[in-house]
Amino acid sequence: MIALESVSKRYGSRTIIHDVSFTVGKGEIVGFLGPNGAGKTTTMRMIAGFTTATSGRVTVAGFDMATQNEDAARKLGYVPEQPPLYDVLDVSTYLRFVAKVKGVPSRGISRDLDRVMSACRLESVARREIYKLSKGYRQRVGLAQALLGRPEVLLLDEPTAGLDPGQIQETREVIRAFGEKHAVLLSTHILPEVTLICQRVAIINQGRLLAIDSPSGLQRASEQTNSVHLEITAPAEPLREALLGVDGVRAVSVHPLPGRDLLQSVECQVDSREGIEARIARSVAGQWELHRLQRQQPTLENVFLRYVGDTVRGKAA
Amino acid sequence: MNGVLAIYHKELQTYFRSPIAYFVVSVFLLGTGYFFLYNIFLTGIGTMDETFQNMGILLLTLIPVITMRLFSGEYSGRTMELLMTLPLKPWQIVFGKYLGATTMLLLMTGATAINLIPLYLYGNPETKTILTGYIGFVLLGMACLAVGQFFSSLTQNQIIAALITVPVLLGFWFVGHLQTFQTDYILRGLFGYLSFALHFGDFIRGLLRSEAVVFYLVVSAIALTLNISYLQWRR
Repeated sequence: MIALESVSKRYGSRTIIHDVSFTVGKGEIVGFLGPNGAGKTTTMRMIAGFTTATSGRVTVAGFDMATQNEDAARKLGYVPEQPPLYDVLDVSTYLRFVAKVKGVPSRGISRDLDRVMSACRLESVARREIYKLSKGYRQRVGLAQALLGRPEVLLLDEPTAGLDPGQIQETREVIRAFGEKHAVLLSTHILPEVTLICQRVAIINQGRLLAIDSPSGLQRASEQTNSVHLEITAPAEPLREALLGVDGVRAVSVHPLPGRDLLQSVECQVDSREGIEARIARSVAGQWELHRLQRQQPTLENVFLRYVGDTVRGKAA
Repeated sequence: MNGVLAIYHKELQTYFRSPIAYFVVSVFLLGTGYFFLYNIFLTGIGTMDETFQNMGILLLTLIPVITMRLFSGEYSGRTMELLMTLPLKPWQIVFGKYLGATTMLLLMTGATAINLIPLYLYGNPETKTILTGYIGFVLLGMACLAVGQFFSSLTQNQIIAALITVPVLLGFWFVGHLQTFQTDYILRGLFGYLSFALHFGDFIRGLLRSEAVVFYLVVSAIALTLNISYLQWRR
């Protein structure tokens, strides 16, 4: 439903997006992750047709955004980072305007308005001017306008920013329900959100697509983020040397814990081979008193930070 | 056409849900009422000539207030992102907004007709001159709106949009005065042709010249085309 083929965007001599390619299929929710200024919004804007790609091809529902953006716009719902609202209009008038432009037939407009207002829990503010609404309601009005006209593709730039936990939950349910039959590209900073509702994650930084895979696939692939945590009573330096001597241990950091003499909290960066916990346990057994040993699974946060950190380091080098 | 109408309705709702429309219409009616009373009752001239002339200058100063928010407001309110990603072509956005602004102009113009009641009750005005004066006034207003709307599309700051529009419109109004300083025939002709005031003068005198009508329509068309092209270029 969404396809980017070698898409680049340049402003003058500055390249903002470098040769980005990925697809979002029907019935799929893809999370779009990246730090501020990574190129998420520019990419979203190119898919939405607000700006055009300098090179490459963007297609939405089979329509080329460079030449058929009006046809594509009928299949698309887009919520920019800051919801595009007319403050002086009331919610109902605003949504009616968007429905008309999207070509919803006159006799179906009221029904479509009821549907999206119910999905986004806006019934109680239907006649209220938008400037009087709280940030959470404004966000939901932005989502409601995107759902009008039953689009096949939904682009959401930070859709849950500014919502309270209850509203976040409701919004996620709306997105999840929509994503069952449609294509959703969701840009967010909230990593648990990606794990909860996205089938795949695309990581972008400095305008380059660094990875795209399922959240679990990214975690599996990220062997560098595997670590083993120990709590042990031992002198710091001999302990560090012993652990660094274990096959598979890449780095060791030792921090003394308060309260008891020589009680240390140890973080070992390890590779992904099986049996590393047993080798570590054997290396300290008999010498020191081991209280706790736990293999830490890589989190999406670590995976994200690793990819983003690698790019930053690469640039610095 | 549905897109144009949807934008047009949205524009009208926006005008009348904000104080701008009421402010502009009030100032305009107070101004024209004063000029009418002054010209008819204090100087005793039983025609609308002077009043139309004053209305023209008043219009030039109020048009930027109407047009400054047309696109600048969309940029600063981040709603341009909505308009450009909805199934709308730039020309539909431009024409929808232009029709909305023209409707405002027609409402303002229509409201001044109240001045005609005492004129017809106590005088013997020439209806044809009044009609051509109103036609000229509306055409002048449409050209000014198109110019103001174009400048509004160039910046997200409404004040800057207005500050660019005012001198440009005043320049078009007063450019005819440069004829006095020119001996070159071509330049004299050019300054005369570009003058909003000189063409408007024809209408006020009761002349419905095709050259003047075409002039205002061409100025409007050029400004609207630039407006559409700029939006396409921005994308």
